[in-house]
Amino acid sequence: MTLTVRYFAALRDQMGKAEEEVEYDASTPRQLIDWLTERDGRAALLGEPFVRIIVNQDIVAADHALNPGDDIAFCPPFSGG
Amino acid sequence: MAEITIRVQTAPFDAGALTLSVSGDPACGAVASFLGQVRSDDAVTTLELEHFPGVTEKALDRIAREAATRWSLGAALIVHRIGPMTPGEPIVFVAASAPHRRAALDAVSFMIDVLKTQAPFWKKAHTSEGSSWIEARQDDDAAAARWLTGE
Repeated sequence: MTLTVRYFAALRDQMGKAEEEVEYDASTPRQLIDWLTERDGRAALLGEPFVRIIVNQDIVAADHALNPGDDIAFCPPFSGG
Repeated sequence: MAEITIRVQTAPFDAGALTLSVSGDPACGAVASFLGQVRSDDAVTTLELEHFPGVTEKALDRIAREAATRWSLGAALIVHRIGPMTPGEPIVFVAASAPHRRAALDAVSFMIDVLKTQAPFWKKAHTSEGSSWIEARQDDDAAAARWLTGE
């Protein structure tokens, strides 16, 4: 299935891109991270506990069930204000 | 129902005008606010604010509505800037009106503390030496947790 994957702030710098479409049947963000890491070791950082995962604009856990077309964003800790 | 105002914008804002915008309800004898400005830390020449469009607005709206419910506010307002800004410029403004001062003051503390850890903003500091992302602060987490866990 097709997924949109987005990287924000320091994670975008780490991954060298802001966004990509991937074709992979990931059942959870955790599985997606494993697959991304196999493709490119830099993605291992996405699995760190401080990374927030936002699917279709909602914060979710790493074992959240993914569906075709989902928009998955990986975010470093927020630092606004 | 409280009047809720959320804005994410690149333009600077007028804190005085924003304060007046939440002061129109005669039932509210108290208006409190917080203005955050870009600090001139570590030779920072420009601070760049990035956010997650859509998710940010939802988070700010949720925070303002929660404050409005918890402290029975007349109005709650959050304005946060994005993009490049220089030291001394306004970056964030939070305001609340309520019948009495304690509710207005607490609601403002709640909104700014929770905003720092719950709204997807990131800061990048530019200096003459280069650029780096500003890491989230642990005492910010503690400040937000104090409100969210009810301690």
